[in-house]
Formats: sequence, structure tokens, C-alpha cells
Amino acid sequence: MMGWLGEIFPTGRATNDPLLSFMLFYLPIMFLIVYGQKIQMWMVLNEVGRALKKFKVMRDKARNEVIDHIKGFVRPDVDLTKKVDGFLEYFTISPVDLDPSGIIRKLDHLMFVKDERMERELELLAKDADKVQLSVMENLLEVASELNYIYKVVRHYYLLGKKMANLYILLQIQMLMPIILQEAEALMGAIDGIKAMQPLGDGIGPLVVGGFMVGKEKKRLAKDTVIAEDEIKGRRVIFMKAEGPAGNVGKPGKAIRRLIDEMKVKIKLIVMIDAALKLEGEKSGEVAEGIGAAIGGIGVDKYEIEEVATEYKIPLYAIVIKESIAEAISVLRSEIAKAKDKVIEAIYRLIDEKTSKGDVVLVVGVGNTLGIGQ
Amino acid sequence: MGLFTFRKKVKPIVYTIEECPKCGRKVKRKFKPGDYVYKEGEVCEKCNAKMLITMIYAETPT
Repeated sequence: MMGWLGEIFPTGRATNDPLLSFMLFYLPIMFLIVYGQKIQMWMVLNEVGRALKKFKVMRDKARNEVIDHIKGFVRPDVDLTKKVDGFLEYFTISPVDLDPSGIIRKLDHLMFVKDERMERELELLAKDADKVQLSVMENLLEVASELNYIYKVVRHYYLLGKKMANLYILLQIQMLMPIILQEAEALMGAIDGIKAMQPLGDGIGPLVVGGFMVGKEKKRLAKDTVIAEDEIKGRRVIFMKAEGPAGNVGKPGKAIRRLIDEMKVKIKLIVMIDAALKLEGEKSGEVAEGIGAAIGGIGVDKYEIEEVATEYKIPLYAIVIKESIAEAISVLRSEIAKAKDKVIEAIYRLIDEKTSKGDVVLVVGVGNTLGIGQ
Repeated sequence: MGLFTFRKKVKPIVYTIEECPKCGRKVKRKFKPGDYVYKEGEVCEKCNAKMLITMIYAETPT
């Protein structure tokens, strides 16, 4: 043992002194064996605690921004702080999934009730606000509510780990911290854009489709969802998007079902355009083509579209624009905006290659249509 | 960003692009409150037609 220590301490003095070698070698090892985990826990606690403070600042800032924004539309005698705090604590209980049959119907109903409740309460609160302003408030409340939830979950694990002196609980939250922090920062960054009604990265799908609808007659097919028609290369093309410039995602599932089931339109091809989460290393704004229903969310619309497409054997094509989660919820970046022309090119090509003259094609722009008209 | 390098965050500037449907002239200007994509824009200086807002995007100044 002393041999290799002798190489480190070539003078020989240290190795010959048993007390000194004990203090230099054995004592730190014993100290680290006994207190090592406590030191690590103290360090992790500090790191998570610092992040928690950041989340609290973000949550409070978002809450205050929402209050400031809504204040302009509300009577001065209304206790807005209490009302907004109530909104931030709203929750939705997911339906029982022990028997998954029919769960989509239940989810759809719950989401309808949730949206209706929020909309009605905001309407009552801000009587002077128009539809677009109400949607901006709704989007802002969603952001603040998400930040509130992030703060509360991180605080839960922080306090739980501290109370139980459990390093492993803290390590889990510490490992996820960079991703959570990135998402929270993106949510914070989205606030100014939403207030100014600027298009979000998620809105690239409706932005492309909206261009085809300009100057055409619009028809509302489902809640906040409109269509317009045009003729391209001898085909009847129906364009569908959420009604902008309000911050909606619409109900594309219900609208497509109505178009095919009720209105009996014989669609030969459905093309869906949406923003898709990119993997690290992929370029923002990259356009990719594939098969299937390009739509996110909890799955209600996706289910409806897949059902109707399968029932009527309609091919489903997807064009996606790659972006990160932060880019999807922030103001549309120039890299993503540049994808517009490539997507238009892909739409024309798909229509040309996959259909014949006289066919009916449905092109759906999926995403939040804030700041995007038609 | 490397482990020990810190990049100062620069706030992106939001631009509005207006296009003339008649002569195709494009104008890039800073975003103004009330702008939204596919809203009628200002009058085209070249052909007096109403321009159309075709894009709104954020760009980080270099």
C-alpha cells in the first residue's frame, strides 16, 4: 500500500509518518464513506432549490402578466387576482381506462366541457372583449397554468426528497431539470408573442393552408374550424384550418367527419400539414413527408380522422415541418417560416401524383392559428 | 453552447412581410400591433394595390 504512496510522496517523509498518512489517506475516505451521500444530497438540493426559485419567478411573472392583460377588459370592482388564481388551479380528471372501450368519446366530452367552461367564464369576466381577445386570454391562461403546474411538481419532489432525505427522488428531478427548464423558458418566451397575437411555431400548418383560402368563401364546419374551396390542376381542393386570427386549434376531426359523413363529399386524398417535434440534430424547418394523421393533442381528433379515413378507405398523407418544443410554442422563427414554399410545392406534387382530374382533395392545416387569418 | 461558455440571450425582432398581389413587390418591416397573416396591409407604392401580409416571423439580430 505504502509503495505506490511513496511514488506520490517521493520525499518519504509523509509515508513514514503514520499519523500524516492516516490524515491524508484514510480520514478523507472514511469521511466520504460516512458523509459522501449527505454532501451529494446537499449539492443536489441546492441545485434543485435554485431551479425551483427560477420556476417560482416564472410562474409569478406569468400570473401577473395574465392579470395585467385581462385587467383592461374587466370591471374595476371584480377581484381579478382571485379569479385568475382559480383559473390556474383548474384541473381535468381523465376518464377511467380500465375498460378502454369508448374512452375517446369520454375524453372528447370532457375536453368539450373544459373548453366551454373556460370560455363561458372568460366571457362573463371580460364582457367587452371580442372573440379574438378572449382566445388570447385563454392561451395566456394556458401558459400560466402550465408554468404553475411545473412549479408545483418540481416543488413537490424537492420537498419530498428533502423531507425523506432521499437522494434518489432528488436525483430524478435534477436529471430532468434541463428539459423542464427549457420548456418553462419557452413558455415564458411565448407570453409576449401571444399578447401581441403573433403566430406561433405550431401555426405553420394553418399558415400554409390559410394562404390558399384568401379571398375564397369560407364555411364553418365545426367549432372554430373553417373550409374554403379552390381548383388546382383540375381537382376540387378543399382547404381546412382553425378559424384565425384567434388562437384556436379548431376541431378538425369533427369537421372531416361532417364533410365526409353528413355532406357526402367523396374525398380521394387527405393531406395533413402540421409541425412535428424534431430530434436533436435535425434542422428546424426541415420538411418531411409521410403517411398517417399528422395531428397532436390528446388523440381525440386523430382517432376521428383515422376512423373516417379507414371507413371510407381514403389515403392519409402527412407533411410535417420539424421544430423543437421551444420553437413550437414561441413566435414563429424565420427558419420555420422558410418552409412555407417547400410545403406548398409538396402539396401541389401530392395532388398531381396521387389524384386525377375531377377528384376531390382535402388539405388540412393543423395547429394553433393565433395571428393567422385566412 | 459548451459546458463552460455562456451566451447572452438576444431578444428576437418580429418582422411582418407584406406582398403586393398585383406586382409582387415585397416589403419587410417591423411587426406592428394588430398585424396578422393574410390581413390587408398598406397600399403598394408601385401600383397602388392593397398589399397582403403573407408572413410574420421572429429573427434574432446577428
